[in-house]
Amino acid sequence: MLDLYIIEETEYTPEIILDKEAGVFRIKGRAITENAQEFFQPVINWFLKYFNKPNKETKLVLNIDYLNSSSSIQIMKIINLFENNLNKNNGLKIIWFYNSDDEKSKEQGNEFKLSTSVNFELTKIKSTNNLEDFNFN
Amino acid sequence: MTTKTIYDFYKLLENDNISFSYRGGFTNNVLTTATQLFKENIGEEHSKLKNKLSFLMIESFQNISRYSEQEGTDILEDTSEFFMTRNVGDTFYIISANLIDNDKIPTVKEKLERVNTLDKSELNKLYREVLTNKQISEKGGAGLGFIEMVRKTKGKLPFDFVKVDEKQSMFFMQIELKNPKVDDGLEPLPLSDAKFVQEIVADENILMMHKGDFSKEAVGPMLRMVEENMQNVSLKVHKKIFHFLVEILQNISKHAYPINNKREGIFQIGFDDNKFHIGTGNFIAKDEVANLKNQIEMVNSKTKEELNELYRKYLREGKSTKTGSAGLGLIDLARETTDKINFEFIEINNNYSFFSLTVNF
Repeated sequence: MLDLYIIEETEYTPEIILDKEAGVFRIKGRAITENAQEFFQPVINWFLKYFNKPNKETKLVLNIDYLNSSSSIQIMKIINLFENNLNKNNGLKIIWFYNSDDEKSKEQGNEFKLSTSVNFELTKIKSTNNLEDFNFN
Repeated sequence: MTTKTIYDFYKLLENDNISFSYRGGFTNNVLTTATQLFKENIGEEHSKLKNKLSFLMIESFQNISRYSEQEGTDILEDTSEFFMTRNVGDTFYIISANLIDNDKIPTVKEKLERVNTLDKSELNKLYREVLTNKQISEKGGAGLGFIEMVRKTKGKLPFDFVKVDEKQSMFFMQIELKNPKVDDGLEPLPLSDAKFVQEIVADENILMMHKGDFSKEAVGPMLRMVEENMQNVSLKVHKKIFHFLVEILQNISKHAYPINNKREGIFQIGFDDNKFHIGTGNFIAKDEVANLKNQIEMVNSKTKEELNELYRKYLREGKSTKTGSAGLGLIDLARETTDKINFEFIEINNNYSFFSLTVNF
Protein backbone atom coordinates (compact mmCIF):
# COMPACT_ATOMS: atom_id res chain seq x y z
CA MET A 1 0.00 0.00 0.00
CA LEU A 2 1.49 3.28 -1.12
CA ASP A 3 0.92 6.22 1.18
CA LEU A 4 -0.76 9.39 0.11
CA TYR A 5 1.78 12.15 -0.46
CA ILE A 6 0.46 15.66 -0.04
CA ILE A 7 2.46 18.87 0.27
CA GLU A 8 0.87 22.27 0.49
CA GLU A 9 1.93 25.11 -1.75
CA THR A 10 4.37 27.69 -0.37
CA GLU A 11 5.97 30.81 -1.74
CA TYR A 12 8.83 28.75 -3.15
CA THR A 13 7.40 25.29 -3.70
CA PRO A 14 4.34 23.88 -5.46
CA GLU A 15 1.44 21.88 -4.13
CA ILE A 16 1.93 18.18 -4.57
CA ILE A 17 -0.79 15.55 -4.52
CA LEU A 18 0.13 11.93 -5.15
CA ASP A 19 -2.86 9.71 -4.54
CA LYS A 20 -2.70 6.27 -6.10
CA GLU A 21 -6.12 5.23 -4.92
CA ALA A 22 -7.92 8.27 -6.31
CA GLY A 23 -5.65 8.32 -9.33
CA VAL A 24 -4.64 11.95 -8.75
CA PHE A 25 -1.06 12.95 -9.48
CA ARG A 26 -0.56 16.66 -9.51
CA ILE A 27 2.14 19.29 -9.12
CA LYS A 28 0.73 22.79 -9.07
CA GLY A 29 2.05 26.24 -8.28
CA ARG A 30 5.47 27.79 -8.15
CA ALA A 31 8.71 25.84 -8.11
CA ILE A 32 11.53 28.26 -7.42
CA THR A 33 13.28 26.86 -4.38
CA GLU A 34 17.05 26.83 -4.21
CA ASN A 35 16.91 23.35 -2.78
CA ALA A 36 14.98 21.80 -5.61
CA GLN A 37 16.65 18.42 -5.33
CA GLU A 38 15.82 18.16 -1.65
CA PHE A 39 12.23 19.14 -2.33
CA PHE A 40 11.58 16.79 -5.24
CA GLN A 41 13.51 13.75 -4.02
CA PRO A 42 10.54 12.39 -2.01
CA VAL A 43 8.36 12.79 -5.13
CA ILE A 44 10.85 10.82 -7.20
CA ASN A 45 11.08 8.17 -4.48
CA TRP A 46 7.30 7.96 -4.37
CA PHE A 47 7.06 7.34 -8.10
CA LEU A 48 9.89 4.79 -7.96
CA LYS A 49 7.75 2.79 -5.55
CA TYR A 50 4.58 3.51 -7.47
CA PHE A 51 5.92 2.06 -10.70
CA ASN A 52 6.44 -1.29 -9.01
CA LYS A 53 2.69 -1.62 -9.11
CA PRO A 54 1.16 1.25 -11.09
CA ASN A 55 -2.49 1.91 -11.87
CA LYS A 56 -3.74 0.97 -15.30
CA GLU A 57 -3.73 4.63 -16.23
CA THR A 58 -1.55 7.40 -14.82
CA LYS A 59 -2.12 11.02 -15.69
CA LEU A 60 0.41 13.37 -14.18
CA VAL A 61 -0.86 16.92 -14.13
CA LEU A 62 1.74 19.68 -14.13
CA ASN A 63 0.53 23.22 -13.67
CA ILE A 64 3.62 25.16 -12.73
CA ASP A 65 3.65 28.84 -13.60
CA TYR A 66 7.12 29.67 -12.31
CA LEU A 67 9.99 27.26 -12.54
CA ASN A 68 13.65 27.90 -11.78
CA SER A 69 16.33 25.96 -13.61
CA SER A 70 17.15 23.60 -10.76
CA SER A 71 13.46 22.73 -10.42
CA SER A 72 13.13 22.10 -14.15
CA ILE A 73 15.88 19.51 -13.86
CA GLN A 74 13.92 17.78 -11.13
CA ILE A 75 10.70 17.87 -13.15
CA MET A 76 12.64 16.38 -16.06
CA LYS A 77 13.81 13.60 -13.77
CA ILE A 78 10.19 12.79 -12.96
CA ILE A 79 9.31 12.83 -16.66
CA ASN A 80 12.27 10.52 -17.35
CA LEU A 81 10.97 8.18 -14.70
CA PHE A 82 7.70 7.98 -16.61
CA GLU A 83 9.62 7.37 -19.82
CA ASN A 84 11.59 4.54 -18.25
CA ASN A 85 8.37 2.81 -17.31
CA LEU A 86 6.68 3.10 -20.70
CA ASN A 87 7.29 -0.56 -21.53
CA LYS A 88 5.63 -1.68 -18.31
CA ASN A 89 2.68 0.59 -18.56
CA ASN A 90 1.11 2.05 -21.67
CA GLY A 91 -1.42 4.21 -19.85
CA LEU A 92 1.09 6.91 -18.99
CA LYS A 93 0.34 10.49 -19.79
CA ILE A 94 1.60 13.88 -18.67
CA ILE A 95 -0.47 17.01 -19.10
CA TRP A 96 1.12 20.42 -18.87
CA PHE A 97 -1.42 23.11 -18.09
CA TYR A 98 -0.57 26.70 -18.89
CA ASN A 99 -2.55 29.92 -18.71
CA SER A 100 -3.74 31.18 -22.07
CA ASP A 101 -1.82 34.44 -21.81
CA ASP A 102 1.34 32.85 -20.45
CA GLU A 103 3.72 32.41 -23.36
CA LYS A 104 6.66 31.52 -21.14
CA SER A 105 4.87 28.68 -19.43
CA LYS A 106 3.80 27.28 -22.81
CA GLU A 107 7.42 27.41 -24.02
CA GLN A 108 8.58 25.65 -20.89
CA GLY A 109 6.02 22.89 -21.38
CA ASN A 110 7.14 22.55 -24.94
CA GLU A 111 10.75 22.07 -23.84
CA PHE A 112 9.67 19.10 -21.76
CA LYS A 113 7.49 17.74 -24.55
CA LEU A 114 10.40 17.88 -26.98
CA SER A 115 12.69 16.16 -24.47
CA THR A 116 10.64 13.04 -23.87
CA SER A 117 8.90 10.19 -25.67
CA VAL A 118 6.14 10.06 -23.07
CA ASN A 119 2.67 11.08 -24.18
CA PHE A 120 2.98 14.73 -23.22
CA GLU A 121 0.08 17.08 -23.79
CA LEU A 122 -0.03 20.86 -23.57
CA THR A 123 -3.38 22.25 -22.48
CA LYS A 124 -4.38 25.88 -22.39
CA ILE A 125 -6.53 27.14 -19.54
CA LYS A 126 -8.10 30.53 -18.88
CA SER A 127 -6.79 30.86 -15.36
CA THR A 128 -5.24 28.61 -12.76
CA ASN A 129 -8.51 28.45 -10.86
CA ASN A 130 -10.10 26.65 -13.75
CA LEU A 131 -7.84 23.71 -13.15
CA GLU A 132 -10.38 22.51 -10.62
CA ASP A 133 -12.96 22.23 -13.40
CA PHE A 134 -10.91 19.69 -15.27
CA ASN A 135 -11.64 16.07 -14.85
CA PHE A 136 -8.28 14.56 -14.18
CA ASN A 137 -9.21 10.99 -14.68
CA MET B 1 23.64 50.42 -16.22
CA THR B 2 27.03 48.88 -16.96
CA THR B 3 29.11 46.23 -15.24
CA LYS B 4 31.44 49.02 -14.14
CA THR B 5 28.70 51.08 -12.50
CA ILE B 6 27.60 48.01 -10.55
CA TYR B 7 31.05 47.79 -9.03
CA ASP B 8 31.11 51.52 -8.32
CA PHE B 9 27.74 51.25 -6.66
CA TYR B 10 28.92 48.31 -4.60
CA LYS B 11 31.96 50.32 -3.44
CA LEU B 12 29.70 53.20 -2.48
CA LEU B 13 27.72 50.87 -0.21
CA GLU B 14 30.68 48.76 0.83
CA ASN B 15 30.13 49.26 4.56
CA ASP B 16 26.39 48.64 4.42
CA ASN B 17 25.38 45.38 6.05
CA ILE B 18 22.13 45.66 4.19
CA SER B 19 20.64 48.36 2.04
CA PHE B 20 17.62 48.75 -0.11
CA SER B 21 16.51 51.60 -2.30
CA TYR B 22 13.44 52.16 -4.37
CA ARG B 23 12.52 54.80 -6.88
CA GLY B 24 9.10 54.89 -8.48
CA GLY B 25 5.44 54.95 -7.70
CA PHE B 26 4.91 54.40 -4.00
CA THR B 27 2.42 51.85 -2.84
CA ASN B 28 1.91 49.96 0.36
CA ASN B 29 3.36 46.88 -1.32
CA VAL B 30 6.73 48.56 -1.54
CA LEU B 31 6.53 49.35 2.13
CA THR B 32 5.53 45.81 3.06
CA THR B 33 8.37 44.39 1.02
CA ALA B 34 10.96 46.74 2.44
CA THR B 35 9.94 46.10 6.03
CA GLN B 36 9.89 42.33 5.44
CA LEU B 37 13.28 42.44 3.82
CA PHE B 38 14.79 44.07 6.88
CA LYS B 39 12.87 41.95 9.35
CA GLU B 40 14.16 38.81 7.69
CA ASN B 41 17.70 39.93 7.03
CA ILE B 42 19.05 42.19 9.72
CA GLY B 43 21.76 40.96 12.02
CA GLU B 44 20.98 39.12 15.26
CA GLU B 45 22.53 41.91 17.35
CA HIS B 46 19.91 44.32 16.03
CA SER B 47 16.90 42.05 16.39
CA LYS B 48 15.44 44.14 19.22
CA LEU B 49 15.21 47.11 16.86
CA LYS B 50 13.01 45.30 14.35
CA ASN B 51 9.68 46.72 15.48
CA LYS B 52 10.99 50.22 15.91
CA LEU B 53 12.58 50.07 12.48
CA SER B 54 9.35 48.90 10.85
CA PHE B 55 7.44 51.65 12.60
CA LEU B 56 9.89 54.30 11.39
CA MET B 57 9.89 52.96 7.85
CA ILE B 58 6.11 53.24 7.83
CA GLU B 59 6.25 56.80 9.19
CA SER B 60 8.84 57.78 6.63
CA PHE B 61 6.79 56.26 3.87
CA GLN B 62 3.61 57.97 4.92
CA ASN B 63 5.56 61.16 5.09
CA ILE B 64 6.44 60.80 1.43
CA SER B 65 2.84 60.34 0.44
CA ARG B 66 1.69 63.11 2.80
CA TYR B 67 3.92 65.77 1.32
CA SER B 68 4.12 64.47 -2.16
CA GLU B 69 1.91 65.62 -5.00
CA GLN B 70 1.83 62.37 -6.90
CA GLU B 71 0.04 59.21 -6.07
CA GLY B 72 1.87 56.35 -7.70
CA THR B 73 0.55 52.88 -8.26
CA ASP B 74 3.26 51.35 -10.35
CA ILE B 75 7.03 51.32 -10.34
CA LEU B 76 7.30 52.91 -13.78
CA GLU B 77 4.65 55.50 -13.17
CA ASP B 78 6.56 58.13 -11.31
CA THR B 79 10.24 58.06 -10.58
CA SER B 80 10.77 61.29 -8.72
CA GLU B 81 10.27 59.72 -5.31
CA PHE B 82 13.03 57.87 -3.55
CA PHE B 83 13.21 55.72 -0.49
CA MET B 84 16.20 54.01 1.05
CA THR B 85 16.95 52.03 4.17
CA ARG B 86 20.46 51.02 5.09
CA ASN B 87 22.35 49.62 8.03
CA VAL B 88 25.93 50.72 8.59
CA GLY B 89 27.64 49.73 11.82
CA ASP B 90 25.22 50.14 14.70
CA THR B 91 22.90 52.57 12.95
CA PHE B 92 19.92 52.22 10.63
CA TYR B 93 19.16 55.02 8.22
CA ILE B 94 15.84 55.64 6.57
CA ILE B 95 16.00 58.21 3.82
CA SER B 96 13.11 59.64 1.90
CA ALA B 97 13.05 62.07 -0.97
CA ASN B 98 10.09 63.48 -2.79
CA LEU B 99 8.98 66.53 -4.70
CA ILE B 100 7.33 69.27 -2.70
CA ASP B 101 5.73 72.52 -3.81
CA ASN B 102 8.06 75.40 -3.04
CA ASP B 103 5.33 77.33 -1.23
CA LYS B 104 4.96 74.51 1.31
CA ILE B 105 8.63 74.49 2.24
CA PRO B 106 8.49 77.12 5.02
CA THR B 107 5.79 75.18 6.93
CA VAL B 108 7.60 71.85 6.70
CA LYS B 109 10.91 73.47 7.53
CA GLU B 110 9.48 75.17 10.59
CA LYS B 111 8.04 71.90 11.90
CA LEU B 112 11.31 70.05 11.39
CA GLU B 113 13.40 72.78 12.96
CA ARG B 114 11.09 72.81 15.94
CA VAL B 115 11.28 69.06 16.64
CA ASN B 116 15.03 69.09 16.09
CA THR B 117 15.62 71.62 18.87
CA LEU B 118 13.30 70.27 21.57
CA ASP B 119 14.45 68.01 24.40
CA LYS B 120 12.62 64.89 25.53
CA SER B 121 10.11 66.47 27.91
CA GLU B 122 9.41 69.33 25.51
CA LEU B 123 8.74 66.80 22.79
CA ASN B 124 6.31 64.86 24.97
CA LYS B 125 4.56 68.10 25.83
CA LEU B 126 4.31 69.07 22.17
CA TYR B 127 3.10 65.59 21.28
CA ARG B 128 0.20 65.82 23.75
CA GLU B 129 -0.55 69.36 22.69
CA VAL B 130 -0.79 68.42 19.06
CA LEU B 131 -2.95 65.42 19.90
CA THR B 132 -5.39 67.29 22.12
CA ASN B 133 -5.54 70.55 20.20
CA LYS B 134 -6.13 68.58 17.05
CA GLN B 135 -4.32 71.27 15.10
CA ILE B 136 -4.31 69.50 11.79
CA SER B 137 -2.11 70.83 9.04
CA GLU B 138 -3.51 71.24 5.56
CA LYS B 139 -2.29 67.77 4.63
CA GLY B 140 -3.03 66.22 7.99
CA GLY B 141 -0.62 65.43 10.74
CA ALA B 142 0.55 68.73 12.23
CA GLY B 143 4.00 67.24 12.19
CA LEU B 144 2.95 64.43 14.50
CA GLY B 145 4.92 62.07 12.27
CA PHE B 146 8.06 64.15 12.77
CA ILE B 147 7.50 64.26 16.53
CA GLU B 148 7.14 60.48 16.62
CA MET B 149 10.28 59.98 14.57
CA VAL B 150 12.32 62.10 16.94
CA ARG B 151 10.80 60.49 20.04
CA LYS B 152 11.46 56.98 18.74
CA THR B 153 15.03 57.62 17.62
CA LYS B 154 16.08 60.06 20.34
CA GLY B 155 17.94 61.86 17.59
CA LYS B 156 17.63 64.64 15.09
CA LEU B 157 16.10 64.57 11.64
CA PRO B 158 18.58 65.90 9.08
CA PHE B 159 16.73 67.40 6.10
CA ASP B 160 17.29 69.47 3.01
CA PHE B 161 15.40 71.03 0.12
CA VAL B 162 16.99 71.03 -3.31
CA LYS B 163 15.32 73.33 -5.80
CA VAL B 164 14.18 71.63 -9.00
CA ASP B 165 12.40 74.54 -10.68
CA GLU B 166 10.26 77.57 -9.84
CA LYS B 167 7.43 75.36 -8.59
CA GLN B 168 9.00 72.39 -6.89
CA SER B 169 11.92 71.19 -4.81
CA MET B 170 13.24 67.82 -3.76
CA PHE B 171 12.66 67.28 -0.05
CA PHE B 172 15.25 65.00 1.58
CA MET B 173 14.95 63.67 5.08
CA GLN B 174 16.93 61.15 7.08
CA ILE B 175 15.90 59.16 10.13
CA GLU B 176 18.71 57.68 12.20
CA LEU B 177 18.05 54.78 14.52
CA LYS B 178 21.04 53.82 16.64
CA ASN B 179 21.31 50.52 18.47
CA PRO B 180 22.00 51.54 22.09
CA LYS B 181 23.47 48.09 22.84
CA VAL B 182 26.22 48.31 20.26
CA ASP B 183 28.64 51.15 19.75
CA ASP B 184 30.67 51.19 16.57
CA GLY B 185 32.20 54.56 17.45
CA LEU B 186 31.41 55.80 13.94
CA GLU B 187 30.13 59.24 13.08
CA PRO B 188 26.64 59.06 11.58
CA LEU B 189 26.47 59.20 7.79
CA PRO B 190 25.72 62.72 6.60
CA LEU B 191 22.55 63.37 4.61
CA SER B 192 24.77 64.28 1.67
CA ASP B 193 25.68 60.58 1.32
CA ALA B 194 22.04 59.70 0.77
CA LYS B 195 21.62 62.59 -1.64
CA PHE B 196 24.53 61.25 -3.62
CA VAL B 197 22.96 57.78 -3.82
CA GLN B 198 19.66 59.32 -4.94
CA GLU B 199 21.48 61.28 -7.63
CA ILE B 200 23.13 58.13 -8.96
CA VAL B 201 20.00 55.98 -9.04
CA ALA B 202 18.21 58.83 -10.83
CA ASP B 203 21.03 59.29 -13.36
CA GLU B 204 21.32 55.56 -13.98
CA ASN B 205 17.57 55.04 -14.03
CA ILE B 206 17.75 52.41 -11.31
CA LEU B 207 14.33 51.55 -9.97
CA MET B 208 15.29 49.13 -7.26
CA MET B 209 18.54 48.24 -5.57
CA HIS B 210 19.39 45.77 -2.87
CA LYS B 211 22.74 45.08 -1.31
CA GLY B 212 23.17 42.51 1.38
CA ASP B 213 23.82 38.94 2.35
CA PHE B 214 22.24 36.68 -0.25
CA SER B 215 22.93 33.43 1.53
CA LYS B 216 19.35 33.33 2.75
CA GLU B 217 16.39 33.13 0.43
CA ALA B 218 16.31 36.90 0.06
CA VAL B 219 14.68 36.51 -3.29
CA GLY B 220 11.17 36.21 -1.77
CA PRO B 221 10.54 39.84 -0.82
CA MET B 222 12.11 40.99 -4.10
CA LEU B 223 9.80 38.80 -6.12
CA ARG B 224 6.75 40.00 -4.25
CA MET B 225 7.82 43.55 -4.98
CA VAL B 226 8.21 42.88 -8.69
CA GLU B 227 4.94 41.02 -8.81
CA GLU B 228 2.89 43.63 -7.04
CA ASN B 229 4.44 46.76 -8.48
CA MET B 230 4.72 45.88 -12.10
CA GLN B 231 1.09 45.37 -12.96
CA ASN B 232 1.42 47.71 -15.90
CA VAL B 233 4.05 45.70 -17.74
CA SER B 234 2.97 42.74 -19.83
CA LEU B 235 2.90 39.28 -18.34
CA LYS B 236 5.74 38.31 -20.63
CA VAL B 237 8.08 41.03 -19.36
CA HIS B 238 6.88 40.41 -15.85
CA LYS B 239 7.76 36.74 -16.05
CA LYS B 240 11.12 37.52 -17.56
CA ILE B 241 12.04 39.83 -14.71
CA PHE B 242 10.84 37.24 -12.26
CA HIS B 243 12.77 34.50 -13.99
CA PHE B 244 15.99 36.50 -14.16
CA LEU B 245 15.71 37.47 -10.53
CA VAL B 246 15.26 33.92 -9.36
CA GLU B 247 18.18 32.58 -11.38
CA ILE B 248 20.56 35.44 -10.68
CA LEU B 249 19.86 35.82 -6.98
CA GLN B 250 19.99 32.09 -6.35
CA ASN B 251 23.21 31.97 -8.27
CA ILE B 252 24.72 34.55 -5.93
CA SER B 253 23.45 32.68 -2.92
CA LYS B 254 25.06 29.45 -4.14
CA HIS B 255 28.29 30.59 -5.72
CA ALA B 256 29.32 33.88 -4.15
CA TYR B 257 32.62 33.81 -2.31
CA PRO B 258 31.82 33.96 1.40
CA ILE B 259 33.49 36.77 3.32
CA ASN B 260 32.95 36.72 7.10
CA ASN B 261 30.34 33.98 6.56
CA LYS B 262 28.28 36.25 4.35
CA ARG B 263 27.64 35.89 0.66
CA GLU B 264 27.44 39.53 -0.17
CA GLY B 265 25.98 40.81 -3.36
CA ILE B 266 24.21 43.69 -4.96
CA PHE B 267 21.40 43.67 -7.45
CA GLN B 268 19.67 46.40 -9.41
CA ILE B 269 16.71 46.73 -11.71
CA GLY B 270 16.72 49.64 -14.09
CA PHE B 271 14.53 50.89 -16.89
CA ASP B 272 15.95 52.91 -19.73
CA ASP B 273 15.39 53.29 -23.49
CA ASN B 274 12.29 51.15 -23.18
CA LYS B 275 14.29 48.24 -21.86
CA PHE B 276 14.68 46.62 -18.51
CA HIS B 277 18.18 46.12 -17.18
CA ILE B 278 19.06 43.76 -14.42
CA GLY B 279 22.51 43.89 -12.90
CA THR B 280 24.18 41.93 -10.16
CA GLY B 281 27.54 41.96 -8.49
CA ASN B 282 29.22 39.61 -6.06
CA PHE B 283 32.58 38.20 -5.07
CA ILE B 284 33.82 34.99 -6.58
CA ALA B 285 36.78 32.78 -5.71
CA LYS B 286 39.69 33.56 -8.00
CA ASP B 287 40.16 29.99 -9.13
CA GLU B 288 36.58 29.93 -10.44
CA VAL B 289 36.98 33.02 -12.61
CA ALA B 290 38.46 31.31 -15.67
CA ASN B 291 35.78 28.64 -15.73
CA LEU B 292 32.90 31.06 -15.32
CA LYS B 293 34.36 33.35 -17.97
CA ASN B 294 34.55 30.44 -20.40
CA GLN B 295 30.98 29.44 -19.66
CA ILE B 296 29.58 32.91 -20.29
CA GLU B 297 31.66 33.35 -23.42
CA MET B 298 30.45 29.98 -24.63
CA VAL B 299 26.76 30.82 -24.23
CA ASN B 300 27.35 34.31 -25.64
CA SER B 301 28.83 32.81 -28.80
CA LYS B 302 25.77 30.65 -29.53
CA THR B 303 22.77 31.52 -31.64
CA LYS B 304 19.29 31.27 -30.13
CA GLU B 305 18.72 27.96 -31.93
CA GLU B 306 21.99 26.53 -30.63
CA LEU B 307 21.07 27.67 -27.14
CA ASN B 308 17.68 26.00 -27.41
CA GLU B 309 19.35 22.76 -28.43
CA LEU B 310 21.88 23.01 -25.66
CA TYR B 311 19.12 23.75 -23.19
CA ARG B 312 17.25 20.57 -24.11
CA LYS B 313 20.43 18.53 -24.01
CA TYR B 314 21.27 19.73 -20.52
CA LEU B 315 17.70 19.34 -19.38
CA ARG B 316 17.70 15.70 -20.46
CA GLU B 317 21.04 15.08 -18.84
CA GLY B 318 20.01 16.86 -15.68
CA LYS B 319 23.05 19.07 -15.68
CA SER B 320 23.23 21.66 -13.00
CA THR B 321 25.93 24.25 -12.42
CA LYS B 322 27.66 21.91 -10.00
CA THR B 323 28.87 19.72 -12.84
CA GLY B 324 31.41 22.33 -13.86
CA SER B 325 30.03 23.06 -17.30
CA ALA B 326 27.65 25.88 -18.04
CA GLY B 327 24.48 25.29 -16.11
CA LEU B 328 20.93 25.36 -17.33
CA GLY B 329 20.40 28.70 -15.59
CA LEU B 330 23.11 30.41 -17.59
CA ILE B 331 21.84 29.03 -20.89
CA ASP B 332 18.38 30.18 -20.01
CA LEU B 333 19.67 33.64 -19.19
CA ALA B 334 21.43 33.84 -22.54
CA ARG B 335 18.30 32.69 -24.36
CA GLU B 336 16.16 35.41 -22.81
CA THR B 337 18.35 38.49 -23.15
CA THR B 338 17.95 40.83 -26.08
CA ASP B 339 21.71 41.29 -26.31
CA LYS B 340 24.55 39.24 -24.93
CA ILE B 341 25.25 38.74 -21.25
CA ASN B 342 27.59 41.58 -20.23
CA PHE B 343 30.09 40.70 -17.57
CA GLU B 344 33.28 41.86 -15.93
CA PHE B 345 35.73 40.49 -13.38
CA ILE B 346 37.63 42.90 -11.20
CA GLU B 347 40.52 41.44 -9.26
CA ILE B 348 40.30 42.34 -5.58
CA ASN B 349 43.09 40.28 -4.04
CA ASN B 350 44.76 36.88 -4.35
CA ASN B 351 41.67 35.07 -3.13
CA TYR B 352 38.73 36.64 -4.88
CA SER B 353 37.46 38.91 -7.62
CA PHE B 354 34.36 40.99 -8.08
CA PHE B 355 32.03 39.60 -10.71
CA SER B 356 29.38 41.84 -12.22
CA LEU B 357 26.80 40.95 -14.80
CA THR B 358 24.06 42.82 -16.65
CA VAL B 359 21.29 41.64 -18.92
CA ASN B 360 18.84 43.70 -20.97
CA PHE B 361 15.44 42.83 -22.31
